[in-house]
Amino acid sequence: MLWIGDVLVSRGEGGVYHERMLDGNRVWDPYRSKLSALYYAGKGVEITGGTIVLYLGAANGTTVSHVADYAECVYAVEFAPRPMQDLLEVARRRMNIVPVMADAASPEQYAPLVEQVDLVYQDVAQPDQAAIAIRNSMFLKGGGHLILMLKTRSVDVRKEPAEVFSETLETLRCSGLQVIESTWLVPYHNDHAAIVCIKPGSAESS
Amino acid sequence: MSSYWFGDVTDKEGRCSIPAAGDKELLIARLNAIRAKPGPFDPFTWHIAVRCGAVRDRTEYIARLREICITDAERRIREIYTQKDAELLPMVRMLDEMDSVVNVLSERAAEWHQVRNPTFSRKYRKTPAHILVRTMREKSRGALGRVAGRIEDLAAARTDLAKEVSARANEVMPNTSALIGGLVAARLLSQAGGLRELSRLPASGIQVLGAKTALFAHLLTHSPSPKHGIIFQHRRVHNAGKLVRGRVARVLAGKLAIAAKIDYYRGEMDPVFLENAQKHIDTAGGESASALDR
Repeated sequence: MLWIGDVLVSRGEGGVYHERMLDGNRVWDPYRSKLSALYYAGKGVEITGGTIVLYLGAANGTTVSHVADYAECVYAVEFAPRPMQDLLEVARRRMNIVPVMADAASPEQYAPLVEQVDLVYQDVAQPDQAAIAIRNSMFLKGGGHLILMLKTRSVDVRKEPAEVFSETLETLRCSGLQVIESTWLVPYHNDHAAIVCIKPGSAESS
Repeated sequence: MSSYWFGDVTDKEGRCSIPAAGDKELLIARLNAIRAKPGPFDPFTWHIAVRCGAVRDRTEYIARLREICITDAERRIREIYTQKDAELLPMVRMLDEMDSVVNVLSERAAEWHQVRNPTFSRKYRKTPAHILVRTMREKSRGALGRVAGRIEDLAAARTDLAKEVSARANEVMPNTSALIGGLVAARLLSQAGGLRELSRLPASGIQVLGAKTALFAHLLTHSPSPKHGIIFQHRRVHNAGKLVRGRVARVLAGKLAIAAKIDYYRGEMDPVFLENAQKHIDTAGGESASALDR
């Protein structure tokens, strides 16, 4: 990832959401983007010019635009029409974003469109976030990574965030994914945790 | 056989057919056909598309796929926005926002007016806010008079919008509107997030739509559950005696849940259902009230 001093930036066409520029690079604000917050926490997966990303819950395309600056190609899945309008505008200007209008909970709806990817990034406000992640891990190459941004409040408001967190970790482990890192995103985002998993196997065998 | 957006891979050796080669419209039609009937899925890479002869290289692969996906998404958005309830949602939200804005502005103007008129007080008077605003427009010089005029305009626009919301709700959700009135029906729709979403809510959910704070307080602590949310705005709920109000709200919500389903799936008025429902709701408030007194 690209740091200027202690500021995370990405290299690409600016002005997407009035983001600040630093030496011609786009400042990636950890308070606005959970993925940025994860990098600020010293964790996360390096995205390079060869990385193919499946991005679930692309919303307005704010974080997507930064991911696209780093990645080879981003498949951006979003269901709701209004954020999709914005995402499309971002996708028209960035040639490596493939916008997919579909429900991340039903990957079979976009399976014929999405090739095997190196990274699945998920940021959806749904109760069954772990299940959605597991279903979408079918797109991962062996050795590929999954980053799950867990919105604990969306899973169950009555439960303690810590409880939701540990239950989710357990569910992911049981599905055969290997959890390599997990962290809370304080002080940038409250009640949000990030979980990084790896899919066992090698890229060749899958 | 495995179907991908660019073609079908027919056997183990990777033989494939590309029925829609190159044609955007055919590819989109094909995509929607696959989506409607998803088959078994085999993970793939773009190399297969090249081997099939669908594209020459990676650049063309992504360019093609992007083009199809963007056009497909644009069409889906257009389709969703042409549904009858699409515009109702922002209309209700604008209406509710205008309500509170007009109130806040009137209050601010009244404070300003008081400073200019040291003997003025609203105590012991029954002057409605809009009359006060009109007086301010007519009597005040300078900015206050002009601002008061704009508040009046805003209030008038609000009244027009309310009529349109009500008329639109009658059209989009005839049964729900018949039970609870167009405006309240539209507010239920806005809270639920759309007619489809409203039709999928259980009666208990409709009963407490709009009582979010009380509901979460109930879930997190041991405070009593809310009896009603938006449906309190309906006369039969707020006019009901305290003892039966919860019951009326529950029965009404039950009938609303059915009405919303008729509205979503059939989309037309059902007089027989409405008559029965009205009877039921009236009974819940009337007879049972005397039963409780005994």
